[in-house]
Amino acid sequence: MTPAPLVLNGLVVGAILFALGLVGILARRNLIVMFLCAELMLQGISVSLVSWSRHHGDWGGHVLVIFVLTVAACEAAVALVFVLQAFSRTGRLDSAAWQSLRESNLPRVVDHELPAVDTVPHAFPRLTPAGIEPPVDEDALLEREQV
Amino acid sequence: MIASLLPVLSPGTLLAAAVTSTAASLWLLLPRGLTGTAERMSRWLGSLLGLAALACFIATGHRLGSLGDEAVFLIVSLVAVISGAATVVSRSPVYAAIWFALALAGVAGVLLVLGAQFLGVATIVVYAGAILVMFLFVLMLAQPAGMAPYDRVSNEPLLSAVAGAVLLGILSLTIGRLTAEPPACCLMPATKAALLAGSATAADGEATDSDRGGVDLLAENHVARLGGELFGRHLLAVEVAGVLLLVALVGSIAIVSRGGSGGGLGDGDARATRRAVS
Repeated sequence: MTPAPLVLNGLVVGAILFALGLVGILARRNLIVMFLCAELMLQGISVSLVSWSRHHGDWGGHVLVIFVLTVAACEAAVALVFVLQAFSRTGRLDSAAWQSLRESNLPRVVDHELPAVDTVPHAFPRLTPAGIEPPVDEDALLEREQV
Repeated sequence: MIASLLPVLSPGTLLAAAVTSTAASLWLLLPRGLTGTAERMSRWLGSLLGLAALACFIATGHRLGSLGDEAVFLIVSLVAVISGAATVVSRSPVYAAIWFALALAGVAGVLLVLGAQFLGVATIVVYAGAILVMFLFVLMLAQPAGMAPYDRVSNEPLLSAVAGAVLLGILSLTIGRLTAEPPACCLMPATKAALLAGSATAADGEATDSDRGGVDLLAENHVARLGGELFGRHLLAVEVAGVLLLVALVGSIAIVSRGGSGGGLGDGDARATRRAVS
């Protein structure tokens, strides 16, 4: 029995999501973005599991996805605590900040000086003041401070 | 649809083109420390190549029953895939998190189309509602000012893009092979029995022609039956998952409050408590 077209398309979508997450894990250096990519891989897995579940008419895939959700919640909680601790120690969310933990036979990551990016500050809209500014009640301010 | 318009393009050629353009577009889109015009050109070219890769994947995809089904599946899966790619290549982690939320919406749509109603809603509630908000909290707590230099470069962008594209190609090839008839040894028991009874051709033709989406055996009374399965056959696993959640909760609080010399969030409180205890 060959899978239905819908099942095959679902499997392809799952594969694409998984591969994208893999590229992100391998290439990105921001710890939080790396975790987001890991979650993206989990999403790809979920789509594939549900597709197979539909193909076989079996609940196994659905139940597995529920446990994937549970484990993802645990993983996010613990991992984000680690990220916070790492940030408070180094002041950076950079995975290369921890390269002293690498294998002894691996070369050191050396950052080249990047050309400065022209950081244009965001032009936030300014609200024009409308109406009349009410007179400041000095007594009320004093009372507020005492409270 | 496109494959029927262009009979020259065989599925193999389309797949090779899709894999090549995926690798090239991811390499162009990943941050490589470029600035100015080079950065903009690289982004535009990468987006165009990515769209070409998506078109190839759509062309190799399988036709669903009706045009409506096909359009719905196409839209939700495009939302999921494009937002997923944007998550991977965004320079700013905040934008990456927001793109990931959109990708979650797309994935929830795909799950709904595949007939997993409970999981589609649970993905939105648990992921977008809880996990993603936690990510954003941490980003707000731990984001240094301005665009960090490590967000503008990647580890080995070419190699990782090629690795991802090769994995994608292998997976798509394997999925494409699924349509070929499996050898008799690997047939499912039900099909084998039907074959033995000699009624396989009739049953097969009926199933594939009546509904291109396949028969969804799980659609009836979906959530109730899923709950029954979860708390019946998998009850022990549910208990273990509950314990795992508790351990993660306690563990993360313990790590934050005893987190070494760097001064975690609750560091002062933890030291005071320890002093009081000893």
